[in-house]
Amino acid sequence: MKEGSVYDEGFNDDDDDDSILLEFESGSDIEYDDTGLLRRDPGLASLSDEESGKGGNNGYYLDGATISSRNVVIPKDELYENDGVPKLSYRCLTTDQIYELMLERLERIQPIFDISYEDIIVLLQQYAWSEERLLEDWTENRDNVIVSCGLKLGHEPVASRGIRKHANFLCHICCEANKMKTFTLECGHEYCLECYQHYIKDKLLEGKIITCMSCPLALKNKDIDAIMGDNSSQKLMRSSIKGFIQKHSNHYKWCPFVDCNCIIQVGNISTLSEFPRFHLSPYVVCDNQHRFCFKCGLESHSPGDCHVAELWVKMAQLESANLNWVLTNTKECPKCGVNIEKNGGCNHMTCKSCAYEFCWICEGCWAEHGGGYYECTRFKKEDKNGAVESKNAIRKYTFYYKLFSEHENSAKLDWSLGLTVEQKVKALQENIGISWIETQFLPESIRALIEGRTTLKWSFPVAFYSDPSHNLTKIFVDNQSLLVSAVEDLSQLLQVKEPQKIIDRKLEFFNKARFVRSRDKALVECGRDLLCKGICIPHQ
Amino acid sequence: MASLPKRIIKETERLVSDPVPGITAQPHEDNLRYFQVTIEGPQQSPYESGVFQLELFLPDDYPMEAPKVRFLTKIYHPNIDRLGRICLDVLKTNWSPALQIRTVLLSVQALLASPNPNDPLANDVAEDWIRNEDAAIAKAREWTQLYAK
Repeated sequence: MKEGSVYDEGFNDDDDDDSILLEFESGSDIEYDDTGLLRRDPGLASLSDEESGKGGNNGYYLDGATISSRNVVIPKDELYENDGVPKLSYRCLTTDQIYELMLERLERIQPIFDISYEDIIVLLQQYAWSEERLLEDWTENRDNVIVSCGLKLGHEPVASRGIRKHANFLCHICCEANKMKTFTLECGHEYCLECYQHYIKDKLLEGKIITCMSCPLALKNKDIDAIMGDNSSQKLMRSSIKGFIQKHSNHYKWCPFVDCNCIIQVGNISTLSEFPRFHLSPYVVCDNQHRFCFKCGLESHSPGDCHVAELWVKMAQLESANLNWVLTNTKECPKCGVNIEKNGGCNHMTCKSCAYEFCWICEGCWAEHGGGYYECTRFKKEDKNGAVESKNAIRKYTFYYKLFSEHENSAKLDWSLGLTVEQKVKALQENIGISWIETQFLPESIRALIEGRTTLKWSFPVAFYSDPSHNLTKIFVDNQSLLVSAVEDLSQLLQVKEPQKIIDRKLEFFNKARFVRSRDKALVECGRDLLCKGICIPHQ
Repeated sequence: MASLPKRIIKETERLVSDPVPGITAQPHEDNLRYFQVTIEGPQQSPYESGVFQLELFLPDDYPMEAPKVRFLTKIYHPNIDRLGRICLDVLKTNWSPALQIRTVLLSVQALLASPNPNDPLANDVAEDWIRNEDAAIAKAREWTQLYAK
């Protein structure tokens, strides 16, 4: 992580909740390291967008894609820096890191309380890690807090805490006699070790304080570890942290990608509210290179802003079930456009609405069919692009939704393609003896591909909500098709498997990836323009 | 079926030898984890003089996991829904292995004595209860006469 500005008081500047907010030295700069696909490699002619970005501000058209010799990779997030858009400072963490930071924090607040770390951890867990609320109650009525959080009994202890040995103990939980080992807290409720182990195991994932089975007295981490014979308390802490993150979702978000355990912490959350004004979204990239919007938690959805994405997703949820059924089971009457379900009989259809007679197979006029009653020999008509102009809203939506989901599927395939890249890189190194640095054009290409595909996918909602008659919309659509062909080209190139061929075509990889990046950027800017100029108006 | 844990055997024995007043619990002969339960409506409650049938099942993980209890008799109560499911803390978050079948059934009986419309399961019933308690109680009484005889 690169160091940025230091937020000395945590991020409390505009924070109205009372959580512990972990401080960090900001990671405002993104550097894709270790696991990443992008690196700042001095030896590699990178695929920087910077030059074309600056030159291309006045046009998102066809301006060329030349290979830049610059070495710095400019992440997409920095593209609009010059427009005065506030930048998000964030960092990517794991639950373990968050836990460590919390412990650091604990060390600092410990002197306020005159009790052990373990006890403070219990208190904080009971207060859902809300330090200030705890401090408030603590100063008001310390003894009350200690008892209500299960640190001490309301009366004198009747036993000493810990594991005990017996010759013949009857446990009241399992009702088995001759138990040898038991555990008890100061309350004197004594049960066998097996029952306690079983009990704790079930509770670890809940992330809440575990108490005695019969009373509210809390088990501390060291009790849990003693009973379980390992460091199970860490599991409990991790579950507890999960609860903390969910509770403070304005500062912390899980990466929405499947099986990704990264957590993004944003420092300057006050800037979040600035983004919509520019029709931009606060994108963050986790350590596994997953790019997502911190505001709505969706994957990167440019060129659309959060509003477009939100309405689109809502609509997709409402419509998709209906739509899929309509798409698979019905056809529109070629004349009046009403949806018709064919529930049996021959292909000679008569529209109940306009009485038009047509063939179910080719959707042509029945009269022109001559004698071929049960078989249609004509070719199926191609879907007309005219659907864009269709007045029928559902049809228009269907059109864009199909495109959207097609690219969604392709994006999934691209991800799996991305997984093969590592093997290819390895093959290049081993078989041809190319240095690691020089193989990095491959991961960079796949990254360009995936980002390009995502932009493409989310450009369809923008097109859907845009005024089709406007010139800019037409330019936008042109830009879409340019990006489509750029993406498809690159995707095809990435299918090449033989290491030698890959190396031979290295320049092609550069060019194509670079072209995708510049088309991607052009489309994003154009889409943003549509939003800023009010040509694209998201509506229900 | 795996052999019955001693805990369940002991509890079952005690339910027979030392029954709770107003409550019976009889294990099913084919499945000793499944109990047929009756609870008498508490006195001075709208359920007075009713006898309610319930089923109780002890899951594999009992006593670490709470027993599953459900009303079989139709009942008009803000914390019991149309399917007979019960909203009761000790059956969910506040379950502890130190509790038993008898304590759970006593809690259910106590719930009949003091309905809690502010933490409802059956929303419509709870609304009636809050809006017009007298009418709701009358209806609960009527249902008791109708179904819990």
